[in-house]
Amino acid sequence: MSGTADAFIHLRRPSMPVFYAAAFGAACVIAFILLLALRPHIPADPATAEMLDRILLWNSLAPRAVIALVAGAALGLAGALLQRVLRNPIADASTLGIASGAELALTLGLTFSPVLMGASREVVAFAGGFAAVAIVLALSWRRGLDPVTVAISGMIVSLIAASLSVTLVLSRGEYAMSIHIWGAGALSQQDWSGVLSLSPRLLIGAIAALLLMRPLNMLALDDSSARSLGVALQATRFGILLLAVWLSASVTATVGIIGFLGLAAPAAARLCGARTTGEIMFTAPLTGAALLFLADCLTQILGPGFSDLAPTGAATALLGGPLLLALLPRVHGFSPVTAASEAILRQIRKPATVLILLAILFAFAFIATLVIGPTDHGWSAATGPLFFDLLPFRLPRILAAGGAGAMLAASGFIMQRVTGNPIASPEVLGVSTGGGAGLTVALFLFGFPSPPVMLASMALGALAAFMVVIAVSGRAGLVAERLLLAGIAITAFSMAIISMVLAQGDMRSFVLLTWISGSTNRAGNFEALTAMIALVVLAAPVFGMGRWLSILPLGATVSKSLGLGVAASRLLLATIAALMTAIASFLVGPLSLTGLIAPHLARLIGFQQPRHQLAAAMLIGAGVLMAADWLSRVIIYPYQVPVGLFAALIGGPYLLWLLGRKA
Amino acid sequence: MLSGAAACLAMPGLLRAQNTPPRVATLDWAFLETLMAIGANVVAATELRQFRQVAVKPDVSAGTADLGLRGTPNFEVLQFARPDLIFNSNFYAWADPLMALIAPVESHAIYKPGESPYPLAEQAMLAMGRRLQLDHARRFVDELSGRLDRYKTFLANGDGRPVLPINLGDARHYRVFGSDSMFGEVLKRLGLQNAWQGATSYSAMAPVGIETLASMPDAWIIFIPPHPQDAFDALTQSAFWKALPAVRDNRVLTIGSINPYGALPAASRFADFLAEGFARVRNG
Repeated sequence: MSGTADAFIHLRRPSMPVFYAAAFGAACVIAFILLLALRPHIPADPATAEMLDRILLWNSLAPRAVIALVAGAALGLAGALLQRVLRNPIADASTLGIASGAELALTLGLTFSPVLMGASREVVAFAGGFAAVAIVLALSWRRGLDPVTVAISGMIVSLIAASLSVTLVLSRGEYAMSIHIWGAGALSQQDWSGVLSLSPRLLIGAIAALLLMRPLNMLALDDSSARSLGVALQATRFGILLLAVWLSASVTATVGIIGFLGLAAPAAARLCGARTTGEIMFTAPLTGAALLFLADCLTQILGPGFSDLAPTGAATALLGGPLLLALLPRVHGFSPVTAASEAILRQIRKPATVLILLAILFAFAFIATLVIGPTDHGWSAATGPLFFDLLPFRLPRILAAGGAGAMLAASGFIMQRVTGNPIASPEVLGVSTGGGAGLTVALFLFGFPSPPVMLASMALGALAAFMVVIAVSGRAGLVAERLLLAGIAITAFSMAIISMVLAQGDMRSFVLLTWISGSTNRAGNFEALTAMIALVVLAAPVFGMGRWLSILPLGATVSKSLGLGVAASRLLLATIAALMTAIASFLVGPLSLTGLIAPHLARLIGFQQPRHQLAAAMLIGAGVLMAADWLSRVIIYPYQVPVGLFAALIGGPYLLWLLGRKA
Repeated sequence: MLSGAAACLAMPGLLRAQNTPPRVATLDWAFLETLMAIGANVVAATELRQFRQVAVKPDVSAGTADLGLRGTPNFEVLQFARPDLIFNSNFYAWADPLMALIAPVESHAIYKPGESPYPLAEQAMLAMGRRLQLDHARRFVDELSGRLDRYKTFLANGDGRPVLPINLGDARHYRVFGSDSMFGEVLKRLGLQNAWQGATSYSAMAPVGIETLASMPDAWIIFIPPHPQDAFDALTQSAFWKALPAVRDNRVLTIGSINPYGALPAASRFADFLAEGFARVRNG
């Protein structure tokens, strides 16, 4: 592992770091004074009003201010520790999936045992957060915890965890309302218990960090230097990691997910002039505390009456996207992955014959999913009148699922070819969640938008997200890792917008929840037609772009020397991919990982030529989603599991295996 | 109304076969309770397990098929239930074209932005009663409105304090039911003032911080379950809670679980609980 030193941000040392500290402090004081001065008055007789005002001041406002400081400091410290121990400038509780993992564990806990409080709550959150980070690190272990791979794995694990939580919430109906609110990180307090439980943990964390200062310093060096200086490297790293996860999970258990604060705090610390490990470890908690405190004061001041404008944690998550974009030029993957590193397992001699075989298999799957299913008299193969009774319900959803699968496969194929990176996929580039942000805007503008309006708004959102990704990474000539990181940033930003609306807990959030969980159940003629027409219009031209698709993975230099307009061809291909992703995510939700696994399976079978690979990937993608759709409607009949989630649960382990393999 | 009449004409079979009551189905819980209250033959409805826990009454008959989650109803099961008529609400309007393949769909709305749900719920119940020729609908509407009047007279002798109907989310947040909600509407009809005067979004729900309870020192606090038991315990043990005037003066009621997006049966249940609760308080 080399080149780690430049993985950290180096900005010009400002002349007066004290000035920044003073500015932060002054901003906090002014915000708090404003908050105190502008706090709403209680309509009661003077004596009662004064008594209540005192209660509010000491049992709500004061503990809330303190918990903002404590939680902010804990997250800032955890972020600084994670970034140092993983040598990754974009590591934090949000990007590593710790927060989502903890949330999922708590949701599960609440589902199976309604009384989950105090210590047990924290243990559950820790277990969930630790499991998530363990999966993320296992996924990127073989690539030496390469920051880009870590970030992508973290995002996918987060998305899967969030989607599982949503499914649980939906299946619990009204009961889990608290999870929406809590999951978005609202800081309001009604006593000092939160402060009393979190403060000692912050103190222990700070003392441990102080004791670990020397090894932390060593970790700034590369592994061999650190080892030569006598640091028990892996044990130390593991210890620090545990400490950071524990701190983040404690915060999640107490106040919920505070998005991306662990990312923002060390970045702000560096802006203030912190350079050495000691300075950063000391400054990051302070800036974290200040940032969360300011954000919390703002949501209170700007909200009407006693209500907050938005849950504080969701508000800070809005910082995540722009921050990741700002940090982007500083992140360097040190284990670049190209399509060439993908081992060629075997090459088939007669690809056309194998394709026909695949097509026959696909046809069988199509007929089986259309005919076989449970009825009120148990399982049966529907024939005759029963078949025609069920056809209007089964055919549209099978067509929608199959079409979406084929489109996801095609767009995943394009993205992997264009970026030359085998883990590029529609989820990773932020296009699916960008569509979700578009849907959110439509819900605000129209209340109950009709399906065409929903589709159009999602396409606009997906395109907008994609344009931002292109614009941001375009300056560096669409370098693969830039593109992926920009995608992660857009995902973070879109998810922040979505979760702010989810936190409202009204009818709109129900529509969003249903979309996130991803279901083909609503598919009717409109959805089926959309899928089929989009498939023909968008995917067919890709077959004519075989030359581009075989040259682009070789890299920009080779492509240019072969006379290919790199930027233009990438732009066109990527626009097609974005549109296909938007339509597919309208049909099956934002998360399926089909776009990831289908092109891979096509390659594993041994298809080499882009056209063959594309055709095979589309057949596989359609087949996978059709099978997932069938499973989703039979497995807990008559209740239905969201198909997107089901496909993701098939795709997740595959991703695990894929990344865990030796490159 | 017109579409209902047209459907009647188009479907003479439904009216002719009066020896067996028409089989009806719905996706919306508000309509489910409405249909059961007027004695319709409901053959399929959504999320019955959850309905029994949240709405509790009326009892769902064992013969009613469970269509699965409200967000993802199983149309194949609906098909197997062979309904003659499906009642749908604006909230599930997306399902109209699919369900129209199974049986005629009639749409009603109880919750519309900016409109009061109670008269709409009355209209929906009466329309369903007419459609299914069940006289019980009219009796239910009249009886409930009479009962609300009686309660109003009874409650007029109360302390005249405003009432805050809430559903606890976690120890620090609650949903409040404003004047445009079904509960708010019932309060109005009972002559009680809703303590929540603030903004509400879409049928009156908004997650509100628990500290806002202090801003309504005069109010009765009415907990409407279901709520997480641990949240309830954590809240009621906190210093803030114990210091609230409503708590110190024993002005807190916890009533039974009610579907917050309900129709007249939910309204009736809420009114009964309130009247019973206040009667208990008054009698010590």
